Amino acid sequence: MVRTIKTGLAFTALAGAFLLQPSLRAQDSMEKDSMKQDDKMMHDGKAKTLETGKFHGKVHATSGRATVYQEAEGKLVLRLTNFKTSNGPDVHVILVATKDAADDANFLKDNTEKVELGKLKGNEGAQNYEIPAGTDLTKFRTVSIYCERFNANFGAAPLEKF
Amino acid sequence: MSTNTSSWLSRNKWILLLIGVPVIAGAWWAFRPEKLFIDQRVNEAAPAALSSEPEALYTGKLEGKVHPTSGRATIYKMADGKEYLRLSDFMTSNGPDVHVVLVRGEDKALDGEIVKGKLDNVELGTLKGNQGDQNYDLPAGADLNKYQAVAIYCERFHAIFGVAKLEKF
Repeated sequence: MVRTIKTGLAFTALAGAFLLQPSLRAQDSMEKDSMKQDDKMMHDGKAKTLETGKFHGKVHATSGRATVYQEAEGKLVLRLTNFKTSNGPDVHVILVATKDAADDANFLKDNTEKVELGKLKGNEGAQNYEIPAGTDLTKFRTVSIYCERFNANFGAAPLEKF
Repeated sequence: MSTNTSSWLSRNKWILLLIGVPVIAGAWWAFRPEKLFIDQRVNEAAPAALSSEPEALYTGKLEGKVHPTSGRATIYKMADGKEYLRLSDFMTSNGPDVHVVLVRGEDKALDGEIVKGKLDNVELGTLKGNQGDQNYDLPAGADLNKYQAVAIYCERFHAIFGVAKLEKF
């Protein structure tokens, strides 16, 4: 008799615990949440943020952020913000098919793949560069500020998923 | 000796000039040393498609503490000046009484997984979902210079599920 009551109490307690903690059973995925709609509206605008990364560079102190946006029509744009590097001759912005790039001269080997985005517009300040259509961002994971004349890497930003 | 040198110099002046000037010009072209002192400052506007959208101020990657937590926390500012936090690519474990809070980045309480005592924080709201993109309004006047991290925080057990240190976007 006592045992039955004890078992009953235990079950009631368990049931109570689960009722109070519905979140333990359900993965409240945001799909169901009405807020999702607002979120979408606010961010389903004309551009989507795909990737971002911070610059590092010591030989030529380089800092700031590189972010890849996708515009509505699919065009990819790289934007540098809070950006600063040293000025120099023949400096380009390129994408490199590596996870990250060390800070050194002679950094591109003959077999390293790169995508040219254009001459560095300024060594300070926010600036945009178009990424050629068809660039595979799963392969090109690093943005480099690259002095072509001396094959030197001024600074690099490894991209991470936004 | 000195007369020898000067006479040699005067005899070979033209040869020296002919060799020296192009060498110096070449070196200047290659190294452009004056660029060390001359900054070229630009300030391009965001791509047209971005200009009407909320501006990203800070961002950081979430790292798991008590529970595996991943994704990105970004603080945006809308055109009307209101700020909000957006979690994207987000995933944490589900749990009871889980909140999204702003905390001090250098807070010692963040070193461990369980906070002893009171956590200095700015409450943003109960976690809306343990997976998926979601937004949280920031209270007006939230000091982002002081609170430079986002934490997923279980208030009942003082457990930090995950933290994202915010960095300038």
